[in-house]
Amino acid sequence: MKKLVGLFLVLAVTVLIPAVDLAFAAGDEPGEYLDRRVIIWNLFYRLMTVGFTVGAVVSGTIIWQCWRFRESHPKAKPTPYEGTDW
Amino acid sequence: MSGHSNWPEWVYIGVVVALMVWVGAEAWEAERLVDHIPADAETIKVTGQQWFWSFEHEDGTKEIGELHVEVGKAYKFEIMSKDVNHSFNIHDYVVLMDAIPGRVNTVWFAPTEPGTHDIQCREYCGLIHYNMRGTLIVEEPSS
Amino acid sequence: MVLELQKPRPIWQIMFSTHHTDVGLLYLITSLAFLFLGGSLALAIRAELFLPGSQIIADSMTFNRIFTVHGTTLIFLFIIPFASAVGNYYVPIMVRYKDMAYPKLNAIAFWMIPPAGALIWLGFADFTWYATPPYSIISAPGPAADMWIFGLKILGVSSVLGAINFVVTILKCKHPDMSIGQVPLLAWSFLSSSLIILVAIPTFAAALLMLLTDRLGVSGFFNPAMGGDPIAYAHLFWFTFHPEVYVLVIPAIGMMYEIIPRFSRKPIYSYNSGVFAFVLLSIVGFSSWAHHMYATGMSFTEKTVFMVGTLAAVPASAMHVFNFVATMWNGRIKFLTPMMWSVGGIALFFSAGAGGVANAAMPLDFTTHDTYWVVGHFHLFVMGTIAFGSIGFLYYMFPYVTGRMYNETMGKIHFVMSFIGTVLVFFTQHLLGLYGMPRRIFDYPPIPEWIAMNQIATVGAMIIGISMAIFLANMIYSSGKGKLANTNDPFGLGGKYYYPFEAKNPSH
Repeated sequence: MKKLVGLFLVLAVTVLIPAVDLAFAAGDEPGEYLDRRVIIWNLFYRLMTVGFTVGAVVSGTIIWQCWRFRESHPKAKPTPYEGTDW
Repeated sequence: MSGHSNWPEWVYIGVVVALMVWVGAEAWEAERLVDHIPADAETIKVTGQQWFWSFEHEDGTKEIGELHVEVGKAYKFEIMSKDVNHSFNIHDYVVLMDAIPGRVNTVWFAPTEPGTHDIQCREYCGLIHYNMRGTLIVEEPSS
Repeated sequence: MVLELQKPRPIWQIMFSTHHTDVGLLYLITSLAFLFLGGSLALAIRAELFLPGSQIIADSMTFNRIFTVHGTTLIFLFIIPFASAVGNYYVPIMVRYKDMAYPKLNAIAFWMIPPAGALIWLGFADFTWYATPPYSIISAPGPAADMWIFGLKILGVSSVLGAINFVVTILKCKHPDMSIGQVPLLAWSFLSSSLIILVAIPTFAAALLMLLTDRLGVSGFFNPAMGGDPIAYAHLFWFTFHPEVYVLVIPAIGMMYEIIPRFSRKPIYSYNSGVFAFVLLSIVGFSSWAHHMYATGMSFTEKTVFMVGTLAAVPASAMHVFNFVATMWNGRIKFLTPMMWSVGGIALFFSAGAGGVANAAMPLDFTTHDTYWVVGHFHLFVMGTIAFGSIGFLYYMFPYVTGRMYNETMGKIHFVMSFIGTVLVFFTQHLLGLYGMPRRIFDYPPIPEWIAMNQIATVGAMIIGISMAIFLANMIYSSGKGKLANTNDPFGLGGKYYYPFEAKNPSH
């Protein structure tokens, strides 16, 4: 197990260092004629797609468990802690 | 409090971290693309003051409150302020940069089709901040 | 103070008391008073923006003053004192000590708030809660601006004194039988937020002094005409106030950690991960301040650093959400008012956080910075998460403070209306920002989308306003005439509560 952790650490570092290098070495080469609207709004819509998907999962989970684990639910059963001094 | 296995939480944290790495990488790449100014961009000096915008083109033409540009060229805005902080914003072209006294900030864009767009101030600058507006007029290429 | 209305004491006995429950009561009442004051300013702002043109506010100067005082009041005079109220009631009991570590200091820290509040309200400054130079130096009219600066200065000292008191109470005065790993999560939240205050506030305290001398014209730290740099102020300000966001949110999360296990009838899923997330958040919170300043002309490298620093705070916040969901899982949840507020707060906490991630992504700043998107985003935090957690906790501690029960139906109506209102106002404001409406504007051009969304937001705000009136009526009526609470188990949940009313107050 320890060896595995070490291996992953080494792998992570070997992946990270070039990525960080690349990030900080983004040079001053002149850019092309790009439409900044396209780039920025595309990024926005991609993030929102993921955001709303994750949001649906999280809110869905919360709403479902509020419905399922409410005390008036037919299948509600006392938790093991009830009646104890937890 | 303990005595149960915690692996779901570790999986969850892994997913969150992976998502954040993805967001960071995507944002970094997009920023890199929009950050670099094309070599032949024309410079327009933008000056903000309470409560209007003035512009000076490369050829010395000056405009107040209105800005005329042409399709097919790239423009680099050099943004300055005479008094307090302002923020130069053409929302339709996603152009935004603060005008800070004592500094020159740059941002660039390349208009794609003719039309008129709003220019506004997005940083609170006092009494008539709400009406510190202008117009961007994009024209057909002259030559 | 408990059972004050059944065993009344003269008011000066409470005012000059140094006992933690008395000081807690003073904090509680002051913070609620400012909640209603600041909230009514919000309603004025929303009414004004219902249509383009001037509606109920005559001119933009008045409008600018109103949103400045609205923000300052609700952050510094409602959220922070409310957290101090809860801390005063609960922290000494949770660490099993007779009082706060320094009772007199505690009373002094409270009594700095009313004069500061008076300075802010009587001055009514106009330079936004952010007081940006050079506007605040060369343009903002005095004496309002100077009064605001002194008010904030006093509030900063008050926060620092309160923080010292909490840190010492928790670390030094906890019962010798109790290890730090047994201190309840609510007290842990006060420990971490107090430590953030101690590190963060001095920076802003220095910036405020520099701002004042700049205004007096004897220095030019932030005045470009005298060789200063306004961006320096922005750094100093946000170095304090980005971590301050966590100062506001951490106690609210701590309050949810008290309510959610209680009403799910289950212990917290993982105490250790709660503690870990608090500590992690209070450290990582210091790595992200300049994400407020992407548009001030930062270099690509600086932006990248602060984006990474901001994203790094997300896992810690996400761990809290996981902890809450896992705690409720397999519970037997009693949905009384405090629990509804907490669960609603968690749901909105996710939306606020997701919006924050979008803000942190550098290029999106061009679309969202200084628009109503930002207004919607941080209001989802301060209203949707922090105020929801706090109001839920107020309902939770109500029977302990007054010995009576609040009206459950009115509490639920309050929650449902506030939740609907919050969603209507702040989600709509996100969209409004995407359509490009700048924040802090008194009037706007008649763009149909802007008008429609402003009207939805105003309706939402009025719904919140009505629900808050119901809340006020409920609190006032129930504290005098509500039915007597079973103070051993007011919510019928079983288990072991922390009983602020058992605190031994020498005056009783």
